[in-house]
Amino acid sequence: MAKYLAKRIAYTVLILILVSISVYLIFSVLPMDPAALTCGKTCRPDVIEANRHRLGLDIPLWQQYWNFVRGMFVGRDYGTGQAAFHCDAPAFGYSFNRHECVTTLIKEAFPVTLSLAIGAFVLWMIVGVSLGVIAARFKHRIPDRLATFFVLVGTSLPTFITGLLMLVFIVMRFGLANPLDIGKWVSPVTDPLGWMKTFIWPWMVLALAYAATYTRFTRSSVIETSSEDYIRTARSKGLSDRVVLWKHTLRAAVAPIVTMAGLDFAGLLGGAIITEQIFNLPGLGRLAIRAVLIDYDLPTIVATTLLAASFVVVMNLIVDVLYAFIDPRVRVA
Amino acid sequence: MSVTRKGRRVLAATAASALLAGSMMAATSTSVSAADKTGGTLLFVTFADQLDHMDPARVYTGRDIAFLNTYLFRNLVMYKAVPGSAGASLVPDLATNTGVPSNSAKTWKFTLRKGITWQDGSAITCADVKYGVSRVFAQDVITDGPQYAVSMLDIPKSADGTSAYKGPYKGTGQALFDKAVSCKGNTVTFKLSRSVADFNYALTYPAFAPVKKSKDTGDKYDVKPFASGPYKIASYKIGDALTLERNPKWKKSSDTVRTPYPDTVQLRFGVAQEVRDQIFLQDSIPNAINFDGGMLPTNIRKFFADDSTKKRRMNVYDPYVRYAAMNVKKVNCLEVRQAVFFAINTQALIDLSGGSVFYGDPGDNPVKPVLGVDYTKTTGNIHDSAWKITGNADKAKALIAAAKAKGGACADVAARATDADRGLVWDMAISATNQKAAVLMTNALKDAGISVKFNWIPPGQYYSTVLDSTKENDIATAGWGADWANASTVLPELFTKEGGFNLSLNWDDPAYPAFKSLMTKALNETNRAKQAAIWKQGSQYVMDQYWIIRPVFSKTQFAWGSGIGGVNYWEPQGNYLFPTMYVKQ
Repeated sequence: MAKYLAKRIAYTVLILILVSISVYLIFSVLPMDPAALTCGKTCRPDVIEANRHRLGLDIPLWQQYWNFVRGMFVGRDYGTGQAAFHCDAPAFGYSFNRHECVTTLIKEAFPVTLSLAIGAFVLWMIVGVSLGVIAARFKHRIPDRLATFFVLVGTSLPTFITGLLMLVFIVMRFGLANPLDIGKWVSPVTDPLGWMKTFIWPWMVLALAYAATYTRFTRSSVIETSSEDYIRTARSKGLSDRVVLWKHTLRAAVAPIVTMAGLDFAGLLGGAIITEQIFNLPGLGRLAIRAVLIDYDLPTIVATTLLAASFVVVMNLIVDVLYAFIDPRVRVA
Repeated sequence: MSVTRKGRRVLAATAASALLAGSMMAATSTSVSAADKTGGTLLFVTFADQLDHMDPARVYTGRDIAFLNTYLFRNLVMYKAVPGSAGASLVPDLATNTGVPSNSAKTWKFTLRKGITWQDGSAITCADVKYGVSRVFAQDVITDGPQYAVSMLDIPKSADGTSAYKGPYKGTGQALFDKAVSCKGNTVTFKLSRSVADFNYALTYPAFAPVKKSKDTGDKYDVKPFASGPYKIASYKIGDALTLERNPKWKKSSDTVRTPYPDTVQLRFGVAQEVRDQIFLQDSIPNAINFDGGMLPTNIRKFFADDSTKKRRMNVYDPYVRYAAMNVKKVNCLEVRQAVFFAINTQALIDLSGGSVFYGDPGDNPVKPVLGVDYTKTTGNIHDSAWKITGNADKAKALIAAAKAKGGACADVAARATDADRGLVWDMAISATNQKAAVLMTNALKDAGISVKFNWIPPGQYYSTVLDSTKENDIATAGWGADWANASTVLPELFTKEGGFNLSLNWDDPAYPAFKSLMTKALNETNRAKQAAIWKQGSQYVMDQYWIIRPVFSKTQFAWGSGIGGVNYWEPQGNYLFPTMYVKQ
């Protein structure tokens, strides 16, 4: 196991290096000039060049990347004279649009995204797995049909529709929240009630889409497992339906669900862009989309991409290890 | 696409102002006592994530300048905080007067008042004023602000055309700057490279405001500027809120412009547009004010159709003229430019953007009527008997035929314009509205036999593209507002070779030398009335040459909650008269 983990960690580092290089390369070949895009209103050629220098884009690409790598270990200095300042390591860079070291922006945004991801995850797992099990248990009967309807609705309605409907027609129309408190970040430690008030609506919106998928997936997985020979053997031994379901069926059915859940959760940690936008949550998703669409902010784009990639890669590893514990037949090589 | 330039105008007794009076909100009764105005939180809401800038050297949006000049920053001079045309007058702020020109307005002196302080109680000095102005020259740190200090101060240029002074952080050329801006006791002297009779108007920009050197943090000053006004920053979180609290070191005795009524001023960011509109439609937060100006199209109609919102709204002309600039280098034929002008269905374009009630009216001048003495009703263009608001294809066809008959360059341009495979190319920023407008324009021009293709440019790259003379195509859409109440910030900027926003590229036009001569005369004229007469000639000249077409005098709308009083329109700033606003107690 230790050898396996060491090898996987080495692969993770390699993947992240490749991801960071890819982002720099992609940024450099895009048919747009960030210096021209962000030079303001008096965008004359000399102003564009001054802006290019300010953004650190007037040096070769390899040097830009080296400065980035170096900054991760020793930090980075910016400006001269009275305007000089330093970003501590690990320094992803400096956002000239937000006037803050990118690492600080990430530190502020991550708890928001984590709160959104955890709450939505718990909600969709409870709802999705429970409904899926019920649907499988009562196959072709009314509970199954209701669950199927739920799946159809949940998977066909995009998040931006459910989010806007929730926000405008439920939250605002019925005054369930102060419109100016929507998206207001409060710490769950200092104000747990305020924290829940902020996140309950985006949790529901995000969980709806995932719960529908998990309902369908759980239903299929349970039905498939139920038709296995060992389940039939368990039944023929006289075990009750409840024992067969909880002790034998679910244990086998849950393995693929765990894999999927891990990857979905990891993906959310990179930022639920649409939900964060609609509910004005200052998380990683909102930070990333703004950096891409509005600010053309390379350091922030690199940081959020690397973070999202690392969550997926690390979660892959965790899921693989977990799998070995869930299913004794699986051994990590 | 419009430029978000700041606009300042003088409202004169013109027909346009009479039209405005009926739709503008009257000021709240002056019989409200000061006690009934003092206190509470003035709450502004916006869908934006942040103010573009708070660094005084970088802020360049009319609304933001008005907001920051009211609450955070003081300048040498300010606009008078009253509604109507009187609001365009200058009054002393940090200075004892509105400036003393000499040497044919190439030298300007301002003397600082006594008792003016920063938020930490330290005195604001001449050195602070000088330092504040010097920061504009650090173009590798200070981006996006107005460049008047760079263009007006008597500092030589380098071989590459940039200023020889590179700002206080590098210090290169410091001696040159020290000659152009000098201090003697409390008196600051500005030496200009040419006569600028309205230089004191430029000083209403925060770019000329003092900055305390020890508090300057370069790029980070954009989120934490040091205050000299009646409020200081309590907190600023991008995407969340900017909160201003009273500055206990500010003294009313030193400030004739401002009376800080609210205890707190807050600007809430990231409020979704639909959520924002609902706040005002339902009046659910009485002390809220719409910082954005305008609402979503369906909501603005609903809001203005509701009689109960009469006292909570304004519909006024904004500072901008929106137009299409003809690239005279490429469309180097007057008749073809005229043909495009006559062919366009202006009514359809106005209707697409909200109708004349909310969007604006066809214009006849690059200078807007609210600029008062510098505006004149021109002849020709929309006043030509052949002009129709829905387009006149026959007139356009006749002009094209005349161009072809003329031969030479005219025949070439006319042939290209009527060739379905080539046609004229129109630069346009990508947006849903523009794409619909393109269809309308294509159809209208097609009726006149003119072919047009559109070059779609991402919004963020639009101006950097069209301002590059090697990249601009035949026609480019733009918008411009006067930077202060003088056409000196319109006509030379838009139509001279040295101007910072010349999309017409007209300097090779045979008609240009005469126009340039007019501009030079106007810029050097220190008699305001004579100067205004020359500007009027210049405007007529521009319209006669069709260097721009389809000008629209655009409008903007404002909304606020029932708990807010003292809401007026600040003519020169093109936005709320922030100093008079209060929370009803």
